[in-house]
Amino acid sequence: MTTGFEGITTASDLIDILDTIEVPVVVVRRDFLVACFNKPAADVLGLSGSDVGRPCRSISVLAGLPRLEQQCRQVIADGVECRADFRDGDRWFVVRISPCTTGDRQISGTVLSFTNVTAFRASTDQAIYEREFTKSILNTVADPLVVVSPDLRIQSGNRAFYTTFGVSRDETQGVPLDKVGNGALALRTLRAQFEEMLAGRHAFQPVEVEHVFPGKGQRTLILDARSLSLPGHSERRVLVTFHDITARKQAEAAKDLRSEAELRRSEAFLAEAQRLSQTGSFSWRVATDEITWSEEAYRIYGIYPTVPVTFELIRTRVHPDNLLMFQEVIDRVRREGGDFDYESRLLMPDHSIKYLHVVAHGGRNEDGELELVGSVQDVTERRFAEEALAKARSELAHVARVTTLGALTASIAHEVNQPLSGIITNASTCLRMLDADPPNVDGARETVRRTLRDGNRASDVITRLRALFGKQSATTEPVDLNDATREVIALSLSDLQRSRVILRTDLADDLPPVTGDRVQLQQVILNLLLNASDAMGDVDDRPRQLVIRTERDEGDRVRLTVQDAGIGFDPQTVQRLFDAFYTTKSGGMGIGLSVSRSIIESHQGRLWATPNDGPGATFSFSIPCAAEVAPPDAAVAVRLPGGTHIEHAMGGL
Amino acid sequence: MTSRRSLVAVVDDDESVRESLPDLLRELGFAARAFSSAEEYLASGDIGRTKCLILDVAMPGMSGPDLQQELARRRQAIPIVFITAHQDDTVRPRLLAQGAVECLFKPFSETALLAALDTALRAA
Repeated sequence: MTTGFEGITTASDLIDILDTIEVPVVVVRRDFLVACFNKPAADVLGLSGSDVGRPCRSISVLAGLPRLEQQCRQVIADGVECRADFRDGDRWFVVRISPCTTGDRQISGTVLSFTNVTAFRASTDQAIYEREFTKSILNTVADPLVVVSPDLRIQSGNRAFYTTFGVSRDETQGVPLDKVGNGALALRTLRAQFEEMLAGRHAFQPVEVEHVFPGKGQRTLILDARSLSLPGHSERRVLVTFHDITARKQAEAAKDLRSEAELRRSEAFLAEAQRLSQTGSFSWRVATDEITWSEEAYRIYGIYPTVPVTFELIRTRVHPDNLLMFQEVIDRVRREGGDFDYESRLLMPDHSIKYLHVVAHGGRNEDGELELVGSVQDVTERRFAEEALAKARSELAHVARVTTLGALTASIAHEVNQPLSGIITNASTCLRMLDADPPNVDGARETVRRTLRDGNRASDVITRLRALFGKQSATTEPVDLNDATREVIALSLSDLQRSRVILRTDLADDLPPVTGDRVQLQQVILNLLLNASDAMGDVDDRPRQLVIRTERDEGDRVRLTVQDAGIGFDPQTVQRLFDAFYTTKSGGMGIGLSVSRSIIESHQGRLWATPNDGPGATFSFSIPCAAEVAPPDAAVAVRLPGGTHIEHAMGGL
Repeated sequence: MTSRRSLVAVVDDDESVRESLPDLLRELGFAARAFSSAEEYLASGDIGRTKCLILDVAMPGMSGPDLQQELARRRQAIPIVFITAHQDDTVRPRLLAQGAVECLFKPFSETALLAALDTALRAA
């Protein structure tokens, strides 16, 4: 055996050298007999001197290499070394089987060198175990995870990654992440973030991405990335995770959609309600004068809805007569806060007038600032309707009065003719006295005095008539009901007399004045008197007694009663008595009692009828004697905190 | 045609008539007396010397026609001139039919009064 080294000529010499290395070395001949081995082989593998020259297969320790002969043969044939794993108890070796070349370049056998890999093997096992464990964990994670290289080429992914993206491990290995699947995962915009992260400048900020998945449609994913540093590797890796938030997004969207739909619905309701009720809403932050209006408020003020609202703007609409009050309300709120409730008018650019009812409530908003929230209602139509109704009522009342006038014509003529008769007679007498010789001056003077008195008497009748039948619009004043009653009696007395009515008056001395329309109240009294007289028109078996009485009533009221001894009424029709056009009289229109009741109700009173114990009926009305009165211009009735709202005492009749 | 004894009686509830009419009658040369009601006149004792009765139609209590009937019942044929402030055209024919000399509507003129008195006194 030539070694090529000077002096080393035998295998024994070689073994001596091999003894100096720690690796067990065994030389096996071509016929698979052990040629020699070094000392570590004896120490580590337990070979002894008697093993030299024995077949490998008979050496128990080498039985761990079952294919040894076959492998040696292969090595000798090919001249190329091979390796085999070898286990001896709990020790693991890698056996290198190398050709052993002789001096004539013939391969005379093989050299087995045993490298102890037990420690290495253990750590590899651990690594494998951990890798498999991690892999199984990662595969159970539902979220797709993928490890990519810094240039975003896919290294490996978990099961969820492959199933989610519908790709296989093989087809994606080394493929850029944004080419995965249908390639819709646009990462171009993410690259900058990746670079920043890899450079260690910024942590990756999760990004929401949309991706269309085969068979799943569009999904929304949260993409996050984390830089991984691998010990012993200079190259970085990036772990990219995907979290599918589609379901959550859809739920949120549905909820948003639902609440948005509900909001829109209630907003639509509100807008519709505001439009129908012609009521706008507003808020006013007092500190900043920030005013917001609802759509209807803009419409009421006739201002285009995008124009910012300022007090200057509002002032351009407020009726000049209401500007002072408008300013007072604002100043008051600035000074004292609180609520307000007032009526005002707007003068629109087309010179039309709008009546508004404005109500607001003050409070602190979420920022703790004083803020008024209120409503502004367009009451123009209502106001006009009220005025039209008042006018119609007034006209009806006038018609009723004129109708009554017809019934009174004879009485009126009588009332005028009486004094006229006196005047003419006295004037005739006067002329005769002055024509006498000598003239009877004293007598003439007396007749002239009587003429004047009768002239005044006639004039009074005309004045009363004009008061009762001339005017149509309602007024409000203190009325002495006794005086009013006496005047009515004076006008109708001759009529009553002619109807053979015995009138008894019983007027209370201490009657407080009532507030109302004198003429309208007289109209009611006259109507009741004439009705009573008519009711007794066919009565001949008893006195046609008519009693008119005034007295104080309960609760600061005054009551007037007209009692007759007439035909009375059927208690079952008592309610119909007051219906318009219901009449029991041949010449009646049937509006007298209806109008009378309407007049009394406009005085916050009531009018009713009761049958007498004996013959006839009693009609009564009761009205408050201390009603509050609206100022003549009721368009500006202000109600402020602490104040009382002034109501219409009159219905406007 | 007149005498101091012949009386023209005026019955009317209206005071101004009672004041003015007797004065005019006196200026015209008649003796005149006023009564405020039919009852007062019936009780006066002047019925017998009344040559003409000027009588208001509508009065409280006994009316003018009531008095007319009462006088007829007592067979006192006194010419009656009715006066009334009610210008009711149906009244006059009815009263004339019942025997009245005349019916004057207030206000009436001196001429109309004199004519009526003339007729009445001629009838008497």
